[in-house]
Amino acid sequence: MKKFRFLYLPLLALMTAFSFASCSDDNKNDIPDDPTLIEDYHFDLWVALDRHGGMARDVQTLVRSLGSLDADQPEINFEGKGTEVNAILSLETIYKGAYYYQVPVSGDRFAKYRIENNRIITVAERRFKTNTFSTRKYTHAWIDDNTLVIMAASGDAKSIIWTKLNAEDMSIIDEGTLDIAMPEGGEMFTTSGILNYRKQDNKLFYFYYAKSGGKRGKRVIPMTTAVINPATMTVESNKPCFLDCEMVGTAYGELLQTTTLITDNGDLYIACVTDDSDGKEHSHLLRIPAGSTDFEEGYDGCTISGKLISLLYIGGKEALAYARDDEMGTSIDDFSHYYTVLDLNAKTSSRVMFEGKPLDYSGGRFSSRMAYVNHKAYIGVDAKDTNPQIYIYDVATKTTIKGASMASGYYFEQIRVVEDVKQ
Amino acid sequence: MSRISDLTCLLIMCLFLLPKMAAGSENVYEKSDTLQLGGVSVYGKSKTQRVREGVYTVNAVSVSPSVNKLTTLNDIVDRSAGVRVRRQGGVGSDYDLSINGLSGNSIRYFLDGVPLDVKGSDVNLDNIPLNTVERVELYKGVIPAHLGSDALGGAVNIVTKRRRRSFIDASYGTGSFHTHTADLTGQFFLGKSKIAVRPTFGLNYSKNDYKMRNVEVWDEETERYILTDRNRFHDSYLSLIGQIEAGVNDVSWADAFFVSGSFSKIDKQLQTGAMQNKVYGNAMRHSRAWSVAARYSRQWGPVGTRVMLSHTHDRSETVDTAFRKYSWDGTWLPATGNEINNKARSIRIYERPLTVLNAGADYALASGHTLAFNYMLNRRGNKRSDETDKTFEPSNDVLTKHIVALTYSQSFFQERLQNSFFVKNYINSASIRQKDNFTVTGADKISADATKLYWGGGLGTRYTVVNPLSVKASFEHSVRLPLSRELLGNGTTVYPNLTLSPEESNNVNVGFFGTWRTGTDHLFSYEADGYLRFVDNYIRARVSEREGMMQYFNEPAIHIKGVDLELRYSWRNSLTVELNGTYCDARNRKKFKSDGNPSATYNNKVPNRPWLYANAGVTYRFRDITNLSDRLSIGASYRYIHWYYLNWEAYGALSSKARIPSQNIVDLSVTYSWMEERYNISLTCDNLFDRLAYDNYMLQKPGRAIYAKLRLYLE
Repeated sequence: MKKFRFLYLPLLALMTAFSFASCSDDNKNDIPDDPTLIEDYHFDLWVALDRHGGMARDVQTLVRSLGSLDADQPEINFEGKGTEVNAILSLETIYKGAYYYQVPVSGDRFAKYRIENNRIITVAERRFKTNTFSTRKYTHAWIDDNTLVIMAASGDAKSIIWTKLNAEDMSIIDEGTLDIAMPEGGEMFTTSGILNYRKQDNKLFYFYYAKSGGKRGKRVIPMTTAVINPATMTVESNKPCFLDCEMVGTAYGELLQTTTLITDNGDLYIACVTDDSDGKEHSHLLRIPAGSTDFEEGYDGCTISGKLISLLYIGGKEALAYARDDEMGTSIDDFSHYYTVLDLNAKTSSRVMFEGKPLDYSGGRFSSRMAYVNHKAYIGVDAKDTNPQIYIYDVATKTTIKGASMASGYYFEQIRVVEDVKQ
Repeated sequence: MSRISDLTCLLIMCLFLLPKMAAGSENVYEKSDTLQLGGVSVYGKSKTQRVREGVYTVNAVSVSPSVNKLTTLNDIVDRSAGVRVRRQGGVGSDYDLSINGLSGNSIRYFLDGVPLDVKGSDVNLDNIPLNTVERVELYKGVIPAHLGSDALGGAVNIVTKRRRRSFIDASYGTGSFHTHTADLTGQFFLGKSKIAVRPTFGLNYSKNDYKMRNVEVWDEETERYILTDRNRFHDSYLSLIGQIEAGVNDVSWADAFFVSGSFSKIDKQLQTGAMQNKVYGNAMRHSRAWSVAARYSRQWGPVGTRVMLSHTHDRSETVDTAFRKYSWDGTWLPATGNEINNKARSIRIYERPLTVLNAGADYALASGHTLAFNYMLNRRGNKRSDETDKTFEPSNDVLTKHIVALTYSQSFFQERLQNSFFVKNYINSASIRQKDNFTVTGADKISADATKLYWGGGLGTRYTVVNPLSVKASFEHSVRLPLSRELLGNGTTVYPNLTLSPEESNNVNVGFFGTWRTGTDHLFSYEADGYLRFVDNYIRARVSEREGMMQYFNEPAIHIKGVDLELRYSWRNSLTVELNGTYCDARNRKKFKSDGNPSATYNNKVPNRPWLYANAGVTYRFRDITNLSDRLSIGASYRYIHWYYLNWEAYGALSSKARIPSQNIVDLSVTYSWMEERYNISLTCDNLFDRLAYDNYMLQKPGRAIYAKLRLYLE
């Protein structure tokens, strides 16, 4: 028994120590056996100074790395803190793990960065070879942890070009042009389209449409899905959607806002919009079921009024959506944007509630203000007459608590969960 | 380039032939008899000095000390107190001139009181032939009503030489970076008539192939970007300006009546966007302008009248048809769009016809009391089209301004006290038709046709206590309507912002100045000016690093305060030492934003603008070194500009903030003149120590440059 007591005491001390660690940082270690959990991470908070950013608005963007966005944190401000990124980085970026990947402001290369100690560190970069892309104007998909495909319309938008990159050193694995002919009546493809990869059946899905020429060119075909073999980049099928719609975002892929999601079982969802006879835009959430490459006719998971802006898959057949209530205003600065949880199976939606009331309407459209980590969603709200506020939505309990608040004068551009670099 | 060589040859031939031509003209006009009085010195005030001592705060810069050097008006005024010229590169590059902290476009430019725009929108302080200019007047904050403009922060009035004799003034200069300049101006009379003919011609050419340091170039061997030095390879600039003016002075029906026709042609290769990491290798800009003008003035007893009417056809073309992405080593890759804005191939044409009418009358109410009226009409069209980009939507916008000003001036105690009071009325009428790119330009937020009326006014006073001490003060509530460049963009690197509001400002100047002369050897003069500017809707250029483009925005409330100090010392008219310095503090004073929330940048220093800078210059003149009535001037100048942040100072860790580094630039010059300045030759070395210099973020200016200039002046 003494032997056991000898073992008990250190074990008890260890457990006590762990429990204290949990208290101080409980969102990082609450379910230690869950493989989807990330242990060492921080948040990169991207903000615009003094006005909402997006759509090439000229704003000063600052990035601060924060260990926690919980309510017990001091008010976030950027006076003498944070990294000024405008000269190098575009707001519209790919990120994965500990790194950002993008065609930077110089517009001549693929590059991999991390932000550390208030500095942008170039991890790897590679000059374009044959295919060249523009800053902000491409779409992407990860085939595996180390293989990134980016795609965009060519300069004259008559064809779709692609480049496959090794994300480790940004070397170009392969590049080419997608075998898709310009549809009849079309003069140019959408700038970037939307690309996603479904690992369950190892296929790339590329959503695009063609339009007539001119800045106000009209879409000539419904949104079309090209299914691509990721190994050979050959187009296996190329079919227009049953609904005369287009993707919610067409210019910047999903570099800033996510408009597609793939559930654990392989259902692929994409947010779309139609111009209806009432003269208004109506949003739709369409589904390509697991195992299929065709849209499921009759399914529309969007039951909100107004416009779907971005989506965040939170597991359990649910998605958190940032949406706009058109009745409250349609401009970037209008306080008309809100958060809602979409039940993808039941096709219902419910506003995110805080203390029994829906979260306040928020201003700012072109931003990525939802981050998901360890079963919690961190969302940013720029409400009227109050400081910007982060709320934390607990997916398991469906409850919302207040997180950190930010000093006035800053506007959410992105909240990103970034893994710490293992030294 | 062969065109340049031809023109250069022509100019050199002129230099040899002109002495003979001028000798002929000397026969026609006898020189006045002169009387030499040994030991008597007569001191008078030059026009430049008299302008300085007026009621307004003004720097009057004489061009004559620099006319023999290969330099530009911009370089000359840049050494003046309270003035900064920020360049984007070498010869012919875009620049931004500020006076007392207000930016270039708050400043209006005039040529003999007429808006400089009438010569063409690309005619500027860089390419006006230097030998046509007598002085440059830099009005700070408070602008005399006779200039009839809506300047907010100041005005630059270029005063040309007006001689009553025949003369020819020709020069040719050459130097680093394949730079060539040639100027020719003169005046002759038709037979024995009073009809004067004044031809003017100016050529500026530079390849601007100066070295860019530490630019990134891809190295295939190591498969990484390396920092290296490379020459600019697509930055040549050619400007040709020609004008002929003919008319009469002092006839029964007119004190002066002249008609003129002018032409300007500017071809400019574009090397970079708003930052040097946007490298271009094909984009070009061409502009052409033709103008006709007539001016008339006459004194009718106590009433003086003048009228000027001009019309300018101004056309610029930006050619951007290559889908290429250039690197500093001159190599390129196929690109997804054109070079400037990554869009469709484009030959963008802007036609900006300009009509200006300026009429004024002065009435001498009594001795020392004058009432003056001035009216200025300025109608600017803005017709846009594109020869290749089918997606471009042509438009035709028109901006019309009417500015009426009334001034009452008085002087007392034998001009020791002078006052001036003025009121201005501005009517701005805009007809905007462009609707494209509305998320950036704001075309969806404005009324297509709008007319608005604004009032301004002010006063100035100067009192001479004793000769070495005069004090002056002035105030103006001024309004500045946005320029077409600010409102409608430049077709290349500046986006339109159709939502821009006029700037309004209350400008206050207080200063004192004086001159001491001790004996015949020492002359000391000084001037100290303090100023306040309370600006609403301040129009500020912002560089979008992401886009490599610029756009002008209103800053809701900017307060500027500052001081200019200037000291001059002269010994026996041989040694001249000049020092000046400027401190200028501009802050955002808008506490709340339009959504009601506090502004984060309240009371922050406005970014991307120099706020502390100084100049020093020393010149020594040796006279009569040989028996050729000669003179040798050796001069050196030093310029210091303190570093400043590109973005709002308070935000972001200092270690990550982009900033424009300090500049310490020394220039040297040697000028030798003989035969009473008939022949002149000069050598100048700019940036002697080859310092890396930036006026704008990531836009390097030239390193060390050596120039030579030969000038011939015959009366």
